[in-house]
Amino acid sequence: MTRKKRQFKLVQIPVSVRFFAVCVWSAISITTLPAGDVETGNRVVDDDESGVAVAFNREIRPILAENCYACHGFDEASREADLRLDTLDEAIGSDSGSAIVPGKPQESEFVSRILSEDSDLLMPPPDTGKQLTEQQKQTLRRWVQQGAHYDAHWAFTPPKLLAPPIIAGVSHPIDRFIHARLNDESIRPSARAGLETLIRRVSLDLTGLPPTPEQIDVFVRESETDASAAYRELVDRLLASPHYGERWGRWWLDQARYADSNGYSIDGPRSIWKYRDWVVDALNQDMRFDTFTIEQLAGDLLPQATQSQKVATGFHRNTQINQEGGIDTEQFRVDSIFDRVATTGTVWLGLTIGCAQCHDHKFDPITQVEYYRMFAFLNNQDEPTMKVYQPNVDVDALASELKTVKQTLTEFLSARNDQIDAWGKAVADDAKKKLPSAVRKALDTEDAKRSFDHKRELFAEAVKAGAIEDENGMFESLTKRYTDLDDALNKTDTTLVLSERSERRKSHVLIKGDFTRPADEVSPGTPSILHPLGEVSDPPNRLDLARWITRPENPLTSRVIVNRIWQQYFGRGLSEIENDFGLQGAPPSHPELLDWLALEFIRQDWSLKQIHRLIVTSQTYQQASTFRKDLQDIDPDNYLLARQQRLRLDAEIVRDVALVASGLLAPKLGGPPVFPPIPDGVMSQGQVRRSWETSRGDDRYRRGIYTFKFRATPPPSLNVFDAPDGFSTCTRRIRSNTPLQALTLMNDPAYFEFATALQKIIQQDGIQVAFRRCTSRPPTDDELAILDRLDTLGAARALLNLDETITRE
Amino acid sequence: MNSKNLRETTRRHFFSNCTMGVGSMALASLMAQEGISTPTSQSSNPLLPKPTHFPPRAKNVIFLFMAGGPTQLETFEYKPELTKRNGEPIPESFIKGKRFAFMNSSHRSNLLGSTRTFQRYGNNGTWVSDLLPHTAGIVDELSIVKTCKTDLFNHAPAKFFMNTGSGQFGRPSMGAWVTYGLGSECEDLPGFLVLQSGPRGPRGGAVLWGSGVLPTTYQGVPLRNQGDPILNLSTPDTVTPDQQRQLVDSVRELNLKRLVASGDEEIATRINAYELAYKMQSSAPELMDTSGESAETLDLYGIKDPNESSYARNCLLARRLVERGVRFIQLYHTNWDHHGGPTENLQKHLPEICKEIDQASAALVLDLKRRGLLDDTIVIWGGEFGRTPMGEVRENTGRNHHIDAFTMWFAGGGFKSGQVYGETDEFGFGPIENPVHVHDIHATLLHLLGLDHHRLSVKFQGLDFRLTGVDPARVVKELIG
Repeated sequence: MTRKKRQFKLVQIPVSVRFFAVCVWSAISITTLPAGDVETGNRVVDDDESGVAVAFNREIRPILAENCYACHGFDEASREADLRLDTLDEAIGSDSGSAIVPGKPQESEFVSRILSEDSDLLMPPPDTGKQLTEQQKQTLRRWVQQGAHYDAHWAFTPPKLLAPPIIAGVSHPIDRFIHARLNDESIRPSARAGLETLIRRVSLDLTGLPPTPEQIDVFVRESETDASAAYRELVDRLLASPHYGERWGRWWLDQARYADSNGYSIDGPRSIWKYRDWVVDALNQDMRFDTFTIEQLAGDLLPQATQSQKVATGFHRNTQINQEGGIDTEQFRVDSIFDRVATTGTVWLGLTIGCAQCHDHKFDPITQVEYYRMFAFLNNQDEPTMKVYQPNVDVDALASELKTVKQTLTEFLSARNDQIDAWGKAVADDAKKKLPSAVRKALDTEDAKRSFDHKRELFAEAVKAGAIEDENGMFESLTKRYTDLDDALNKTDTTLVLSERSERRKSHVLIKGDFTRPADEVSPGTPSILHPLGEVSDPPNRLDLARWITRPENPLTSRVIVNRIWQQYFGRGLSEIENDFGLQGAPPSHPELLDWLALEFIRQDWSLKQIHRLIVTSQTYQQASTFRKDLQDIDPDNYLLARQQRLRLDAEIVRDVALVASGLLAPKLGGPPVFPPIPDGVMSQGQVRRSWETSRGDDRYRRGIYTFKFRATPPPSLNVFDAPDGFSTCTRRIRSNTPLQALTLMNDPAYFEFATALQKIIQQDGIQVAFRRCTSRPPTDDELAILDRLDTLGAARALLNLDETITRE
Repeated sequence: MNSKNLRETTRRHFFSNCTMGVGSMALASLMAQEGISTPTSQSSNPLLPKPTHFPPRAKNVIFLFMAGGPTQLETFEYKPELTKRNGEPIPESFIKGKRFAFMNSSHRSNLLGSTRTFQRYGNNGTWVSDLLPHTAGIVDELSIVKTCKTDLFNHAPAKFFMNTGSGQFGRPSMGAWVTYGLGSECEDLPGFLVLQSGPRGPRGGAVLWGSGVLPTTYQGVPLRNQGDPILNLSTPDTVTPDQQRQLVDSVRELNLKRLVASGDEEIATRINAYELAYKMQSSAPELMDTSGESAETLDLYGIKDPNESSYARNCLLARRLVERGVRFIQLYHTNWDHHGGPTENLQKHLPEICKEIDQASAALVLDLKRRGLLDDTIVIWGGEFGRTPMGEVRENTGRNHHIDAFTMWFAGGGFKSGQVYGETDEFGFGPIENPVHVHDIHATLLHLLGLDHHRLSVKFQGLDFRLTGVDPARVVKELIG
């Protein structure tokens, strides 16, 4: 190796690169247990030295990615000393010598540099803030000793179908994978959770609503006869409930960054709730996930696209719109495309494609040019507001009928022009003052200049005044038909959609992501590290992109989605970093299970409900979440899943549970967002005072998913429980635990109203019933004693404030 | 503080908060019986003080945010050449290739001289205009930086940039980063509080003090001028204080039982959160009650009616918050957007807003100093950008948004006192020496608080987010005393 020492010196490195190197240092450290020893396609090498084989994907790649790739990885611009360590060919080098000599650590400069005691020579350079542990150094040395074998990154190779391990007495495939791993560690799984805990858990997980006391009684009774049949039936009932679509719709809406306002500083309201309803409905219908994907990304491009398919394209209209004065609209249009590229990458591919916006990706093999080729797919649409008609409305037929009716009505009125005119002239001035303004306006218009609407107004008023007779109710019936047709066609709800342009917009690489600095023109295309784009239109469009994403050979999408579903059930995905399956991500704790689920998802025709059913019917899902002393040291963070996980409910469900417990819930599905009571003054923050006219009637008590959400001033009671703000895609919610949450549950007017309603239940049915409505279980004597010290209102408030009430156990 | 000490402190903290109802020893033994480790980790109270990266110079920050972009040319930048060449077109070399807001509408490229009178003050003869007589009186306490520089020229993005280091919506704000990095020393109020004054809220709204990818524990909590000072702070009308205390006690006891039954430490965190919430119910009103302040103090700030919401009252509250150990306090005062429109011109409205903030800003520095709090507290004055040397003619005279050079001042907490840093050209258009980028300000601020801006990061979507972003940032050592 002829590389000179100075080439490795950090002073040679541009400051910006050093920054990125330090960037890798992370404040959140992720602990992962090594995966099981089952062959997973990752090479496991027989050791010729220490007796322990080193697996590249599991042990070596994370060390290299964390410590080396920022300067010796894929990004050419920031590469130092012309050295790449991300592929074997590059690392063993060519003419000028090699950093790694496979099998010969003593000859490998890579090894001597990581072991060096000279801080000028040591890698990674000390002032990057990175430091290898002694164990990591020895692992790397052993890897070189064993031949420095590289394996393809697990997430970029297609999932492997492995039969679930055979375990006596365990039939469910998920349990076979999970128990095999537990057996290896000599850990027994937890017992099944109590029936009340179980029905509450699965009801909240599948529908976001707690069970009623009656439902609990039925389940407990039926379980006595046949426990597994009772549970199966329960799951079937919950999956068939329309509330399933609301609960999992919210999961998807987080990813879609849905909200009801335009964002940025003005943040005016927008109407895009039809898209929200589309999501809820599609999930309730169990639309195949590939179709679900294609319609959202490119519904407008499908042949004879239906209205519903166009509504689905609202997915990518959930970007912000800047309404501020003096702005460059192109800048914000480009920003919205950046967001669409990043969101598409994160949601469907689990890749941080957005990182390649300004430079080649530091860690994953995605070039900046490839980024802008993805950009080009998403850069060719207009962004109109679309009228949404009632289902079964034949727009053409109605439009043609409207024309006919209008014509008839016009002729009808023309024939009676003289009568109308005569009546108009006869109206006295003081009588005129009492007429509706539309009629007055029509009267003030010269006879010859009166429009169709003017004449209609006048004729109707003249009939009302008894001055003209509407023979056979002819006018009335024509008018009614006319108004109905006009309403059906022109006074509809609207939503935001994508609409492909016929004339292509050119796309360029933008230097440093700056829209004022276009470089080479690019055509639409996908990253070369993934499966080929295949047969496409010319030039390729969004529909081709959507179809490429849903190809079965795509190694990422099915894994990413099942992982994100798993995360909802256990608080953490099988691969912990749910939005990055790239080289910086976390290797899965159970790689074989993740692959098996990913393939099962496709095999089950991309049915989300089947995946839900599969997971919730496993013993792994049904076991108790209670803390176990014996796991405290072996698996304190529950990676191995020897128990379930207690999880604080999502923001909307915190509200929903209180609504159900207090008997107030209005279970209506869908429709425009609603305005439940919020504390005074909340909406006056920020630049624009937003109107919030509190809804009346049932709309006060709708589920949290329907609360109107301004991005810049989100509803406080949802915001404090970590509901995402919709500025960018959210693939995992934070679960914070703060005093403001306590103030909300104790003092917020809405929660106080819930407590008052629950108080009535206590007064009528007793504290035991109220307790059960909140927690699904009866209170213990101790708990009753505590509650008995309070008056009924105090007890109701206490129940709504329990940690258990806002947690699924 | 090493981790063992930290754990011990946390343990003490947890139990000291649980002295009502079930005894702490009883709890400990109950939990031990169940084999549950007593909750000692940071997780049971995420706001507990955390160790710094290196010894800090300052503990608290007060950021006086002048929303809208205050003009530097009528306040701190004395530019006789600009006045002399009033009305002449700005030389092409200054504006070539630059973009401005409102470029196509009202922007003009003729120079506009200031009509204010400037005088020299303090030990170094620092120029300050007649609009800020009180600030002029404290220049010996300040580091005035004339070469601040930002990247974005529209209000909301520029405010995000100043507050979060990014023009994007939804990134963690400075106050969130600081409380995330340091925790808070106040046990009965949130660690990051926001106070607002002026005719309307700042553009960008709550996102300016949001926590972005950090837990919401760290987001700024607005202290409101009307109604409850903190949202949902008041006990509902029909509930007595006794009933509220009973509620909190009962909820704690019931939660403790569940903690013992389930072993989930998250419940310990929730118990703590309820204790803090309950304390806030009395500590926040006590904070807002300024009746104990002397007439002399009120005069110092220029507060006429202590119950009336104003910038001056917010400055006084900021001092009271620092006294209580609150980590980060941000004041927003609108509106500094003097384009020359009917309600925003340089002749009438600028003097008015200067009068609104001048005395109280200076008083805050003086008051902190005489109470021995200035050494530990950084005070920052400035907006999201400055204003152009070129005039803008709408109904009246004004100036456009300007990002190449604008003025901010810093006091206390390790900042050098009595200096002017950075020099601009004859028109005050751009720096001729020592530019200070917004990211440099952030790096310097964190440095004085004992935090390394490289290391204060959090991973999200494959990127490591930091207040100072990806591009290089510099701790401006010359500003440190």
